[in-house]
Amino acid sequence: MFAAVLIPNFSLQAVLRADPDLRERPVALVDPEMTGTPIIQATLTAAKAGVVAGLTPAQAMARCRDLIIKTRSRPREQSATEILLQTAYAFSPNIESTALGVCTIELKQLGLRNASDMQNYGAKIIQTLAPFYLEASAGIAPAPALALLAAQPGRSSEECSFRAGDGDLFAAEVRTPSVQGRQSVLVVRSANQFAGHLPVAALEPAPEIAAILLRWGIRTAGQLLELGKSAVSERLGPGALELFERISEDSARPLKLVSPPELFSEQIEFENEVETAAPLIFVLRRFVEQLSQRLKAIYLVTGEFQLRLGLAAGGQYEHRFGVPSPTANVETLFRMLQTHLENVRTDSPIVSLELTARPARQETHQLGLFENTLRNPNQFAETLARLTALAGPDNVGTPVVEATHRPDVFRMRRPDFDAVQHSPARTQHAGLQLRRFRPPLPAHCEFRENSPALVRSERMGGPVADARGPFVSSGNWWDNQRWAREEWDIEIAGGILIRVFRSEEGCFIEGVYD
Amino acid sequence: MPANIIQLRQLLSEKFPGAHTPLEQRRAAETLYWPTGLPQIDKFLRGGLPTGALAELSGTKQSSGSATLLREILAHAARRNEIVALVDGNDSLDVARVEEHVLSRLLWVRCRSADEALKAADLILRDNNLPLVLIDLKWIPEKQLRKIPATVWYRFQRLVEETAAVCMVSTPWPMVSPAQTRITLHSALSLGALEKSAGELLDELKLEVSDRRQPAETANFLQSSA
Repeated sequence: MFAAVLIPNFSLQAVLRADPDLRERPVALVDPEMTGTPIIQATLTAAKAGVVAGLTPAQAMARCRDLIIKTRSRPREQSATEILLQTAYAFSPNIESTALGVCTIELKQLGLRNASDMQNYGAKIIQTLAPFYLEASAGIAPAPALALLAAQPGRSSEECSFRAGDGDLFAAEVRTPSVQGRQSVLVVRSANQFAGHLPVAALEPAPEIAAILLRWGIRTAGQLLELGKSAVSERLGPGALELFERISEDSARPLKLVSPPELFSEQIEFENEVETAAPLIFVLRRFVEQLSQRLKAIYLVTGEFQLRLGLAAGGQYEHRFGVPSPTANVETLFRMLQTHLENVRTDSPIVSLELTARPARQETHQLGLFENTLRNPNQFAETLARLTALAGPDNVGTPVVEATHRPDVFRMRRPDFDAVQHSPARTQHAGLQLRRFRPPLPAHCEFRENSPALVRSERMGGPVADARGPFVSSGNWWDNQRWAREEWDIEIAGGILIRVFRSEEGCFIEGVYD
Repeated sequence: MPANIIQLRQLLSEKFPGAHTPLEQRRAAETLYWPTGLPQIDKFLRGGLPTGALAELSGTKQSSGSATLLREILAHAARRNEIVALVDGNDSLDVARVEEHVLSRLLWVRCRSADEALKAADLILRDNNLPLVLIDLKWIPEKQLRKIPATVWYRFQRLVEETAAVCMVSTPWPMVSPAQTRITLHSALSLGALEKSAGELLDELKLEVSDRRQPAETANFLQSSA
């Protein structure tokens, strides 16, 4: 058996995912790549007002005054396709991306014993897609083409007048909020009985064949089957054979199996250029919700985000966010992005946004009895981002002293307290601590017999009461970073202990001992 | 519940007020301490700096040993495997004199003004991830320090008291009015101090410790030089 999951009006649904409130309003979709930019799909509300595919936007507006026109978006369709395939993959490893908005699933060895199991299976897929603002129908049948026919919306009850449990057909309405029409699951156990209710038009015959069948009085696929395959193909040619293939349960073909991408992304192209963070944040929030939901469906959480902003000038702004403690918590993930976006400045307005989530497993970490680590690593990462925005990236972090004798050479690294080793029980520290001036204070020093006698600077100074030195040091004499200096520890009048050094640039107060 | 049992309970609670306090309330009433590792301070403070409260370290002289004391507190936190934040108001920490394992447990925020340091401290206190937050304002210009409104310290107090953290502020003169513990350094170090070990220096520091929780007659403790 095969299940076909169909998302009707797929292009329109893909666009409306970004603004789901519009689904209940009259909205029509145009394809700018087609000649005349005709309407290709419309919501149920718009269809009721007379908006049909093929109309020009002006004609459609004439029929429905409140009509909202949206443009087809390939990136949005790409995201919706990913969702469809990833959802299907959570139900079966054998899936096929049959067409735009159609996914076929092989049900072999899934333990579905009866029609009721299959109905529940189809209903679960539809319910899983609903939070992503994708409304689907499912058809389950012995052949993929037959399953797709069964998945056409409205087939279960309106066109074919089926009733639940009617012979070998089992139809069920899935209770999810739907604006595109009814979402249904139809299980077809016998192709003949299904064909008896199926209009010939559903097989989409060529116009000339459709006209001939109409003249013959053939209204349903069942009546066509009764004519016999060879008799019909003799009279109508290979086009009619294709119709037989579509309705026949013996036409089961092997699926072209696909594996959905492991990256989860949501993207949007803005209709107007975005110059402030507010609209971005609004869209990002929705994206984070959607991505978290998608990952939750396959029992994973977000381990990393990649944000890409397309710029009007043609460039791209890109940033990666590692989630310190992988999570599916929307608030935590969103705050991380928001904190970063508040401090982003781009050279030109933003025209597109793409957010990609890299999945990870939920962290299970057992703390040691004597281990003191961060209570909330994600909160800490956010605080770190705020501190970095406040003080600058070079001024926040954990200092690492460089392996050089040159004074005050260190680098700042991002804190990683999980990797820290336990400290020795007791260690002996250096004596008096120095409070450094960065940069060192330029000073005027007077020397007597190569020993400082007077120090004067902007912030402190006076006659030298006591001094020790000089302590000579030098380094990097082998390259152009060469340095050399003489240091003195000085007590100046007033009881201040300072360190003074003399180099090629002059005399400086390096700091105060405190 | 019968009336006589209620009356009996009331009678007992009046006579023995501590006996009928629920265990949770009793635990909450007990103040927890964060030991500094410096016996001269911990002994007087009955265990260490009170958690969920502000502490102030004032060095009235420019070379009074406050930076050395802060370094020792950092080292003690590292020995306890704790992570510490240091908001360095004047970017003055000399990392060369701090051991590597202490630095690896340090979140150092290098600031350029009092305003920036206070904003950074506010963020870290709200984060509620770190048990000890040190704010070093000692070498910030006096003009900037005088502009800090007292409300800032009360706000910090409100933030800290909701956590189990200790926030210690190092200042050139006492200015943190809601500080529960105040350590004032009166030492004036001479050049000879450079030849002493940290332990010897700390033993010789003249420090005055006051604790608001303690009765007025024992509120001040002055350790003279050895």
